[in-house]
Amino acid sequence: MSEMPTEPIEKARPESPEKAGKSGLALDRFITFAAVIVLFTFFSLTARNFFTMRSILSLALQTSTITLMGIGVTFVIITGGIDLSIGSVVAFSGTIAVIAARAGLPIWLSMVIGLCVGVVTGLLNGLMITRLKLPPFIATLGTMMVTRGVALTITNANAWPAPQDFGKLGNGTVFGTGPQFPGIPYPVLIMIAVALIFGFILSRTRLGRYTYAIGSNQEAARLSGIKVNQVKMINYVFCGLLSALVGIILASRMVTSQPNSATGYEMNAIASAVIGGTSLMGGVGTVGGTVIGSFIIGILTVGLTMAGANYFMQQIVIGLVVIGAVTVDQLRGRK
Amino acid sequence: MEAKSASSTHEVILEVENVSKSFPGVKALDGVSFDLRRGEVHALVGENGAGKSTLMKILSGVYQPDDGIIRYKGKPVTFSDVTQARKAGIAIIYQELNLIPHLSVAANIFIGREPLTRFGTLDEKRMNADAVAMLARLNVALDPTIKLNQLPVSKQQMVEIAKAISFDSEVLIMDEPTSALTESEINELFRIIHTLRDQGVAIIYISHRLDELKHIVDRISIFRDGRSVSTDDYTAISMGEIVNRMVGRKLENKFPPKQNVPTTEKILEVRHIVRKGVLHDISFDLYRGEILGIAGLMGAGRSELGRAIFGADPIDSGEVLMNGHKLSLRSPADAIKAGIAYLSENRKEEGLAVKMTLAENVTMANVLEICRRFGVLSRGQEIEVTQRYVKSLNIRTPRLTQIVNNLSGGNQQKVVVAKWLFCDSKILIFDEPTRGIDVGTKYAIYELIGALAREGRGVIMISSDLPEILGLTDRVLVLHEGKLAATLTTAQTTQEEILNYAAGVA
Repeated sequence: MSEMPTEPIEKARPESPEKAGKSGLALDRFITFAAVIVLFTFFSLTARNFFTMRSILSLALQTSTITLMGIGVTFVIITGGIDLSIGSVVAFSGTIAVIAARAGLPIWLSMVIGLCVGVVTGLLNGLMITRLKLPPFIATLGTMMVTRGVALTITNANAWPAPQDFGKLGNGTVFGTGPQFPGIPYPVLIMIAVALIFGFILSRTRLGRYTYAIGSNQEAARLSGIKVNQVKMINYVFCGLLSALVGIILASRMVTSQPNSATGYEMNAIASAVIGGTSLMGGVGTVGGTVIGSFIIGILTVGLTMAGANYFMQQIVIGLVVIGAVTVDQLRGRK
Repeated sequence: MEAKSASSTHEVILEVENVSKSFPGVKALDGVSFDLRRGEVHALVGENGAGKSTLMKILSGVYQPDDGIIRYKGKPVTFSDVTQARKAGIAIIYQELNLIPHLSVAANIFIGREPLTRFGTLDEKRMNADAVAMLARLNVALDPTIKLNQLPVSKQQMVEIAKAISFDSEVLIMDEPTSALTESEINELFRIIHTLRDQGVAIIYISHRLDELKHIVDRISIFRDGRSVSTDDYTAISMGEIVNRMVGRKLENKFPPKQNVPTTEKILEVRHIVRKGVLHDISFDLYRGEILGIAGLMGAGRSELGRAIFGADPIDSGEVLMNGHKLSLRSPADAIKAGIAYLSENRKEEGLAVKMTLAENVTMANVLEICRRFGVLSRGQEIEVTQRYVKSLNIRTPRLTQIVNNLSGGNQQKVVVAKWLFCDSKILIFDEPTRGIDVGTKYAIYELIGALAREGRGVIMISSDLPEILGLTDRVLVLHEGKLAATLTTAQTTQEEILNYAAGVA
């Protein structure tokens, strides 16, 4: 083998020299992160009261739910799938948790039951996709309608109040020092913990590696002995679990069950993943990117509100950002 | 031979002069010159990375040259895109066909310029008639209404050719057209190429299969490292000389000397494998240290047999024993655990995750090995492992984290091999290991296969390249229509004998 022609190393790939290497990813991340800073600075200068501790904390609180859902759907999208049932699962799991609490179960137990609802819907999505071979779009569309319908039926579409203690998770804070610094909300801490844990899983564990491998080339992954169905199932369970976590946080914040809430949240989650560089073709995406993507959406929402733009304007701007972010990706030649 | 240059008028239709093209970090073409005559088949050969594909992409308008002149019918031209080149009469047929599987033959030929009726609806009747006429130019009879995905690859390729000439193409570029065809299909393709040549079409023929050139080529140009080395009448140059010029050094033998000695110790026993409609009651043994070839025509079940042993496709009955123990073959995971590896013929579709890095691909089938507790990856260990295989297999890459898509075909194949070596596989099933790989790298792959067998592994080599089978294996299984037609000792057989069994005439 030593008599192989020893061409210069770059010659090894002259047939496809136009493709970007992995170093392009780091640059992309830098660009999106820079976008967050620019947006933040912009609103700090233009919107009064934007750059105050109170509004920064409120921004983090608002963004925490998008981030949690975004991280879940990032896993699913990297395998080449999609989850449209997120918003419905948020409403359904929150509703079940409140019902459990009203029935007299301890608060912690009712919240765990809520989380289990997310795990079960995730499992069902995974089963339909891996066993019945349904396209993820269809399977999760069905789940979206069914879970929403069940939530509405069992509550008769009414919002029911939860016991007072149920509100601690969504409204409590730590490290508060008084009016200047009301403290870090629990949901923000949860977001940070989840981002760290799931970021670690995706980038540093076998499961994360398999997730990328399946999205990059499912058949190659299968022929490499990777249990494709099992990995996919786990990913849909992750997504369901994080959706349920959001459902409990939201129900706790409102201290009510809201079977009508969270409609269309999956679209925000998908948008945050996509803005953060996740490819709907699968195989590409990071938790860090999704966190940044969520904050871009969060800053835009809060900033535009404070700058006086109404909800409709916000929709327009965020929509354009999604299109713009993916366009930039495409122009950079990343597949 | 006789009819060969009969229609070649020596009129130059296409002339390339000192064309250069650089990409970031690579000079793909460095002052290349080349001319093409009307009514000739002009072979273009060279190793991967020699610049053939880049030149073809320039001629067909995909790339624009940095420097140099292209003259077409005497006039300097620049094509800014593929449509312009095609309108001018230059068409290219890539190795991977660009057809739409769910549409009919006629719809594929006329896609993008469908004939319309007075009412603006599709004129199916005319389209079908025109398609038949176009196919008739190739002397091919094919139902124009049949869906493309119901045709074998060889017929699909004819549709692609018909589509190309339907643009009134005067220059036809064919990139590795025979790589997916069987012997008889190749002969059919050559007949079509002759027909076109006799009609005055100039054909640029790119191939790694040097032995097939003698059947069709009038002149041959050799490229090396982005430069054009020479152009000769095919009859004026020997095969040895062609190879020498391609690799820029003497390459005495196509095959390395035999390294392995088969033992009498059975490592794999395949018993009565049946997959309905595909494999019919196949049994054979593989010995430690043996290279066992599997030959047969396309559709005979070669790959299917390999995939069945690997658990990639379900079987209906039969069993496989490894070292005397019955294997459970419900999934590739089972086979891998037992120590069986399958190197697919479609590297990019089934072998590699091309968007991921070299290191990630090498460890893909054995990630556990580089994990600490709780499935946490050790990047350091991964790099160490990859480094080892890059060195021992001589994989040429700028860095270990290179995206696999950016590696050449030969290097990609080595990455797949590295992946299975890292699993410490005891049995390796190579499916068309040298398809689309250049001569120098082929030799390295042959050496590698020999070395694997010498180390006491069992190797199964599925190949449609008979010289390769004869040059490398110890025994050959010949399949015919899903049945085992013969088990031959390589040293005592010939290409003809294998072909006879494969064709079912023996």
